[in-house]
Amino acid sequence: MNTFLVALAIIVVGGLLPLATYRNMAIAKGLYLGTTLFGCIFGLISLFSASANLHGLTWAWSWLHCFTLVFSCDSLSFFFLIPIFLICPLAAIYGFAYFDKTENSLRTAISFFCTNMLIVAMALVTVAANILSFALVWEMMSLSSYILVMYDYEKPETRTAGYLYFLFAQAGALLIFAAFGVAYSQTGELEFSKLALLPAEVKLIVFFLAFLGFGSKAGVFPLHVWLPHAHPAAPSHISAIMSGVMIKMGIYGILRMYAALATSDLRIGEAVLVFGMISGVLGVLYALGTHNLKKLLAYHSVENIGIILMGAGLGMIGVAKGNVTMAGFGFAGCLLHVLNHSIFKSLLFFGAGAVIKKAGTSHVDHLGGLMKRMPITGRTFLVGSVSISGLPPFNGFVSEFLVYFAAFQGLKYTHSTLLLAILAIISLAAIGGLASFCFTKVVGIVFLGEPRSQHAAEAREGGRLLTLPMTILAALCLAIGIFPQSFMDLAFAGLADMVRIGRVDAAIVESIGINLALASRLFLLIFVVVLTFRRLLYRNKVITKGPTWGCGFTQGTTRIQYTGSSFARSVVNFFRPFVIVRESKVLLEKIFPGKTEYFTRIEDIADIAMHRGLATPLLVLLGKFRWIQHGNVQLYIGYIIIAISVLLLASFF
Amino acid sequence: MESLLTIALALLLAPLFPGIILKVKAAFAGKKGPPLFIKYYTLSKLLRKGSVYSTSTTFVFKLGPIVSCAGAMMILLFFPLGGMSPILCFHGDVIVLFYILGLGRFFTIAAALDTASPFQGMGAAREAFFGTLAEASIFAILILFYRMTGALSFAEYFTGATPISLAGPAGALLLLVIVSLFMVLLIENSRVPVDDPATHLELTMIHEVMILDHSGPDLALIELGSFYKLLFYSAFIFLIVCPLKATWGLANVPLFFGGICLVYVAIGLVESGMARLKMNLVPKFVLTSLILVFFAAILTMEFVK
Repeated sequence: MNTFLVALAIIVVGGLLPLATYRNMAIAKGLYLGTTLFGCIFGLISLFSASANLHGLTWAWSWLHCFTLVFSCDSLSFFFLIPIFLICPLAAIYGFAYFDKTENSLRTAISFFCTNMLIVAMALVTVAANILSFALVWEMMSLSSYILVMYDYEKPETRTAGYLYFLFAQAGALLIFAAFGVAYSQTGELEFSKLALLPAEVKLIVFFLAFLGFGSKAGVFPLHVWLPHAHPAAPSHISAIMSGVMIKMGIYGILRMYAALATSDLRIGEAVLVFGMISGVLGVLYALGTHNLKKLLAYHSVENIGIILMGAGLGMIGVAKGNVTMAGFGFAGCLLHVLNHSIFKSLLFFGAGAVIKKAGTSHVDHLGGLMKRMPITGRTFLVGSVSISGLPPFNGFVSEFLVYFAAFQGLKYTHSTLLLAILAIISLAAIGGLASFCFTKVVGIVFLGEPRSQHAAEAREGGRLLTLPMTILAALCLAIGIFPQSFMDLAFAGLADMVRIGRVDAAIVESIGINLALASRLFLLIFVVVLTFRRLLYRNKVITKGPTWGCGFTQGTTRIQYTGSSFARSVVNFFRPFVIVRESKVLLEKIFPGKTEYFTRIEDIADIAMHRGLATPLLVLLGKFRWIQHGNVQLYIGYIIIAISVLLLASFF
Repeated sequence: MESLLTIALALLLAPLFPGIILKVKAAFAGKKGPPLFIKYYTLSKLLRKGSVYSTSTTFVFKLGPIVSCAGAMMILLFFPLGGMSPILCFHGDVIVLFYILGLGRFFTIAAALDTASPFQGMGAAREAFFGTLAEASIFAILILFYRMTGALSFAEYFTGATPISLAGPAGALLLLVIVSLFMVLLIENSRVPVDDPATHLELTMIHEVMILDHSGPDLALIELGSFYKLLFYSAFIFLIVCPLKATWGLANVPLFFGGICLVYVAIGLVESGMARLKMNLVPKFVLTSLILVFFAAILTMEFVK
C-alpha cells in the first residue's frame, strides 16, 4: 500500500473524528490535532522517502462502472505537494489554539472536518491525471473551502464574502470545464497527457479558457475580486491555508495545462507575463491603500501571484524562444516563489490573526506598539514582512532573483519580447519597492510606536501553540535565504517533467545558488561585525531613557502619530487613475472649529468595472426576460417538452 | 592586494569627501566654511557620547543604523573601486546589492516609525515614496547596461571584456545615464533639490527628520553608512565618465579618489545653485531620471546589437 494514500486516509479520519466527538471539545480537538499532524508528517515523509518514491506512480479506479479516475504523480505534482503538507499541519496547530471558545463546538468540528477535506482535495488536485478526477477533486476543494469561509455566517460581511467566493469559484470552474469540454470534443480522450494532440488553434482556446478559470482561483487581476473579501472573513488559519496554499492550485492548474498542451506559442507566454505584471503592481498598490490588516494581506496575495505568473510567463517565453536558461530560471523562480509565498504569507496571516484576536480590531490605524506587548508575534511578523518585501537575506529575495535572472535573459531579444522584458524588470523593481513600503507601513503602524487605542494597549501575547507555528515559519524564511541551493535544486527538480526543451546547465544553477548563499551569509557576517562594534562602543556609556523628542510639543498624545492612511497617502495619490480614493472629511473651518474628521477608502477598479461593466448590464438584459419565469409549473413542463421536441427534431436533419 | 588596499582607503576616506561639498558651498556663499575634516570630528564626537532612547522604541530602532551601515559597507566590497577588480563579484551581484540597500531603507523607515513622532513618520513616508520611485530608475540603468555589456555585476561593467566607456560605441547613451544617475545620487543620498539636511524646519526634511531621535554611536553609524553610500554612487558615476584600466596599477588610486572629489564638487555646485524643490515636484524629478534611462534603453534597440 502506498504511504501517500495512507497519509491522505489518516487526514480524512482526522477530519471525521471531531465530528463524532464534538460534544467533548477538548477530546475532539486533541484527537483532531494528533491525527492531522500525524497524517501530514506521514505525507511529507512519503514525498521525500526513497522507498515510497512517488515519481511516476499511477493509481486508477473505476467509478460508477463507467468513469475511470486516474491519479499520477510527476515532478510538478511533487513540488506542489510540499507546501500542502508543510503549511497545513502548522495551520492545524494554530487552529487548535485559535478556536478556544467552546459554545460553537459543532461548528468548530465541521470546520475541522472541512479543513481536512480541503487538505485532501488539494493533495488530490495536484495528482489528478485525467479530466474527470480533476473536476471532481477541484469541486471538492472549492466547496470545502466555501464552508470554511462561512465560519462566522451570522455576520453579513461574511455572507457577502462567501457568496462572492462561491460565485468566482464556480464561474472559474465552469470556464475550466469548458476548456476540458473543448479539448474532449477534439480528442475524445480524458487523460491530460492526450491534450498535446490538439491542433494549435484549439490549444490556444483551451489554454486561455483554462487560464481564466484557474486565474479566478489564483486571484489574478481582475479576477481577484473575491480574495480581499474572503480572506478577512475566514478564520486566520483558514486564510493562511487559502492564501498560502489553495490559491496556488490555480497556478498549478495553469502550469499543468501549459505542460499538458505542450505548446510553445509565444502569445501564451506574453499574455501570462502581462497578467502577472498587472496583478503584481496593482495588487501591491491596493494593499498600500487598504487599512484592514487581513484585507491588506489578501491584496499582497494578488501581488505575489503576479510575481509567480511573471516567472511562469518568462519561462513560457523562454520555451517559445528555445532559450533553456530563461525557461528554466523563469519556471524555477515561479515554483520557488510558490513555496516561499506559502511560507511567509501563512506566517503573516498567523501573525495578523493573533493581533486581531488579542487586540480585537483589524484596522491598522487603531493598533500600534504591539512589538512590546506581543514580542514573538512582532518579531516573526517582522521576519515575514522583510521576506515578503523580497529583501535579502530572506527567502522572498531568492525567488525574485531567479525571476529577475530570467527577465534579464529576455533582454537579448527584439520587438515585443524585449519590451516586455524591460517592463517586467521595472515592474518587479516597482513591486519590490512598493511591497517594502507597504510592509514598513504595517510593521511601523501596527507593531511599532505607541498604541493608538485602548484595545491595542491591552493586547497580550497568545499561548505557545499560537506562536509556535510562526516561529517555525520565520526560521524557514531565514533558512531558505541562507541555504538557497537545496531549495533551488528542489524547484529545478520540479521542472524536470515540465520544460521540454531541456535542462538548464547545472553549473549555472549551482553557481547562482552558491553566490546567493554567499551574499546572504556575507551580509549577515558584516551585520554581526557592525553589531559587535556597536556593542563595544556602548560599553561603559551612559544610556538614558526619555520621551521621543517632540519638536516643541509638550502635550502630544499618541493620536498625533503618523497613521497608515497618512503614510501611504502620497504614493496612493500618485497612482490616482488606477486607484480610486474616496475621501470623507470635515476640515477646520470658522473661528471656533468643531471636531475634525478624515477618512479614506480606496476602491478596486476591478471591483467597479465588474460591477458596472458586467453585472449591472447583465442584470438589465436578463431583467427583460423575467416574464419567462413566473412560477407556473405546468408552463415550465411545457418549456421542457418543447425544448426536447425541438432538439429531437433537429437531430433528424 | 591592491583592491584590499583601495577598499581600506575608501572606508577610511569616505568621511573626508562630504567636507568638500561643505567647502564648495561655503565658497559660493563667500564664507570660509568648516574645516575639511569636519565629518571626522563629528564622528569622533558622536562615538564618545552615550545615547538617549525614547521610551516608545523597541529593538527595531537600534537595528536601523546597523542594517543601513552594514548594507552600505557590503556594496563597497563588490564595487571595483579604482578600476581594480573587487574582492567579490558574481553574475547578478548588482541586484543583490541594490536590494541590500533597500533592506537598509526598510529598517531606517521602521526605526523612524518606532519613535511614534509625527515628524519622523512624515519623513519616513517621503523617503519610502521617493526611494521606491528611484528604484525603478536604477533598474532601468541595469537594463541598459545589460543590453550594452551582457553583464549583471559591477566588476563586469568596469573591468570586464566590454567595459562601459564614454568612448565606446554606445557612449552617447551614457550621457543620459550619467545625468540620470546623478539625479538618483541626489535622491538616494538626500541632497539638495530633493532634500535639505540643513533646513531649520523638520517639516521640510526627509532623511534628516527620520534620524532625529538617534544619538551617540547609533547616529555615527547612520552617518558613516550615508558616507559610504554617497561614496559608492560617486564612484559609480565617476567610473562611467572616466573608466580606469587595471593595467595602470597603483596610479589608479590617486586618479580614482581625485575623480571622486570632482563628483563631490559637482554636488556642491548643484547644491549652491539650486533651491530645494517643493515636495510635490520631487516625484517628477525622480521620474525624469527614469524616463532618461528608459529612453536610452529603447535607443539600444537600434545602435547596439
